[in-house]
Amino acid sequence: MPSSLKYFLTRLSGSLVTMLVGTIVVFLVMKAAPGDPALIVLGDYATDETVAAFNRKHGLDAPLMAQYLDWLGGLVRFDFGQSLSVSAGENIGDLLLYRLPNTIFVGVYAILIAVTLSLVLGTLAALNRGTTVDTSATSLAVLGVSMPDFWFGYMLILGLSIGLGWFPSYGFTPPSDSLAGAFYSGFLPALAIAAPMAAVFTRTLRTALIENLDREHVMVAKAMGHSGRFRFLHHVFRNSLIPYITVVGLQIRYLLGGVVIIERIFGINGVGSLMVEAAFARDFFVVQACAVVFLGIVLAVNYVVDLICAMLDPRRVR
Amino acid sequence: MTRSTTISRRSLLKSGAAATTVAMVPFWAGAAQASCSTLRAGITGYNVINTLDPGQMTLIPEAYMVWGIFNCLLKFDEEMNIVPDLAESYESVSPTVLRFKLREGVKFHDGEEMTSEDVKFTFDRLRDEAFGSPHRSKFSAITEIRTPDDYTVEIETEEPFAPMLSYLTNTRTGSQIVPKHILENGSNEEFASNPVGTGPFKLVSHEPGASLELAAHGDYFEEGLPKVQTVEVPLIAEESAGVTALLGGSIDVTSTAPFADVPELEEDDRVQVLKQAGTSSRFVSLNNSVAPFDDVHFRRALSYAFDRQAMVNVVLFGEGRAANGIIPSSISWAATQETPELVTLNQEKALAELEKSKYGAGTEATVLTWGSSWWKRFAEVFVLQVNQVLGVNFTVEVSDSGTVYQRMQTGDVQASIWGWLGLVDPDEYAYEIYHTDGARNFEHYSNPEVDKLLEAARRETDLEARGALYREAEALAIEDCPVLPCFESNVHNLLAPDVDGFVQLPYSAFGAQLAAVGNC
Repeated sequence: MPSSLKYFLTRLSGSLVTMLVGTIVVFLVMKAAPGDPALIVLGDYATDETVAAFNRKHGLDAPLMAQYLDWLGGLVRFDFGQSLSVSAGENIGDLLLYRLPNTIFVGVYAILIAVTLSLVLGTLAALNRGTTVDTSATSLAVLGVSMPDFWFGYMLILGLSIGLGWFPSYGFTPPSDSLAGAFYSGFLPALAIAAPMAAVFTRTLRTALIENLDREHVMVAKAMGHSGRFRFLHHVFRNSLIPYITVVGLQIRYLLGGVVIIERIFGINGVGSLMVEAAFARDFFVVQACAVVFLGIVLAVNYVVDLICAMLDPRRVR
Repeated sequence: MTRSTTISRRSLLKSGAAATTVAMVPFWAGAAQASCSTLRAGITGYNVINTLDPGQMTLIPEAYMVWGIFNCLLKFDEEMNIVPDLAESYESVSPTVLRFKLREGVKFHDGEEMTSEDVKFTFDRLRDEAFGSPHRSKFSAITEIRTPDDYTVEIETEEPFAPMLSYLTNTRTGSQIVPKHILENGSNEEFASNPVGTGPFKLVSHEPGASLELAAHGDYFEEGLPKVQTVEVPLIAEESAGVTALLGGSIDVTSTAPFADVPELEEDDRVQVLKQAGTSSRFVSLNNSVAPFDDVHFRRALSYAFDRQAMVNVVLFGEGRAANGIIPSSISWAATQETPELVTLNQEKALAELEKSKYGAGTEATVLTWGSSWWKRFAEVFVLQVNQVLGVNFTVEVSDSGTVYQRMQTGDVQASIWGWLGLVDPDEYAYEIYHTDGARNFEHYSNPEVDKLLEAARRETDLEARGALYREAEALAIEDCPVLPCFESNVHNLLAPDVDGFVQLPYSAFGAQLAAVGNC
């Protein structure tokens, strides 16, 4: 087996094991949490009998192991079960199908903004080290990191929606309805999530670029007469991309955390807000489904990041 | 269920842009008829709707929508008097029999006429154990429902049962009339997502957790209502996001407002703030069966040891009033009128009661509360005051509402912060909380004299006499301090500047109030 294939298969099986362990943890945590979905659905006058009937109907009275295997069996077939207490009786698959594109859209939009901003600012800062440009870019980055995204979200609404009326203050057009509408209505939330990420990316890129600018092989390239532009693109930038992309990949986890809050502030019907609501309502199945989806996204992104890094630096595979 | 992704934020946004234009239309242009066809009424602070079947609803946002889709035999008017709705008139034939004359020609959303058969079916369904309605106990006093003709219904109870009239109003009690012809053979689950009622609005689509769309019921029996053709209802979980949505022109009406923002919003001419004392009761629930709350002197010491008005100021930013008891003041005929001495701050008496108690300064206890906002502050303000005045050592434990409620039900709690909102009959507060067998008596409180008065109040059909019985019962109960009544919070609605016709009721009858909105 070629070593590269072996590398990717090992990484893949590692991801799958992580996924499996993740499902167990998610399942157990939800079971350990106090609270009972039956009481939320049945309300003030729930009796022991109606609660027992509810639990029987949804298989919540079976032994833990049986419940877990039953749920896992469904997962493998992409059957997430039915919602208990956030949207009783609704197929969770349908709930996710409506929401996942919104969350992914805003997430990807945020990353695009963050990457664009950081590429510009990071490069400018590194190439103008020690000048006002560098100080300004670095200061912006510190500001970005220091602002909580929910606060920044409200500030954006206050300034750009309520103040200037440029953007809607609430609501999100799903990309399936109108792509342009999604870009327009998703701009503020994406920007709110992007700001702290852009700051981290900028700093990473700046450090990596500066480090590589000083490396000996760049000096050698200069001695060989390569142009500044060539040296930057082929020797400096390419090498700096590896830490940069790794950091971008790592930030996906924080991105998902940010999405949860931002979705609620801006009224985006996404997976994050669904998960929060489901957790409060003890809708085990919905929380578990959302957690598995998030876990899947994180693992998939990490996997892709590994692939990209391996392409940029083939030595990693060997 | 018609799952539609088109209720969409797109139309919401479009109309958001349109709102700017509407604002520039001169005021006389839309005076006679509706000047807008789509009302955007956000449900704020909640976004879970599990069912739209009145017989199964328990959550406030579920009720918000059910009130607009269905009608009951009776309803509350603006002064909180009980008036006919689907019934044209009603009378008490005997102390145990109520007779209702129904309106003729009332149509369900599918065009079928509503008759006495539907009324009988509705209550038989609520009382059917197999249906498992959370409201069943409210109607268990009914022994028989007779339908002498298509437009007459007689409801007989085993003994006189005064709360029945309140239970037949369009409130949270689940007595909204449902169509027999659909449910007789149809599935309840199907009905929960495809409700068919007689109300001013019919459901067009529902995207769970996200939004609903309602359309005017063309055959609605009240002339000229509803005034708007379409209502879009985004479910906005964050109350503060509701405020920004309204200020930014994305919605026209909210169902609530964050207390902290109200004083500022009242000064803001971009928004109309409607508010009044709500039908609500917020209190500290003490588990009377465990230490240290099993000692009446200790409970009295606590009741004397904190300032309720300070709570209103700090917890609600002034948006409420200190309570006299647990029956809300908006149910004025039954609520305690004068503030009893025991629900006012009195440091000397507090310490004197503590002297008599078997527990002294330094006593430890945990007060359970939930959420992150004012419920948490509520607990903190209470604990801070009693710790200061009595020298006890109380602490706050924060959880979420579902957990707190479950722990109260199972008795796994010493004290907790709790409250009820939108219940309309004094029986739902006094009997259910103070009576030994009360459904919400999580305090394990029992006083035979109080029980006797509350039972008498259930049988008393004269409103004034009945109110007096509740006052008497509450006066006795307050001496025992099973719960510590604290305050009532205001209900709020925020409206865009040009919205008119929206009349607020103390129990916040959201969906029902939208029918009369004529301008938006």
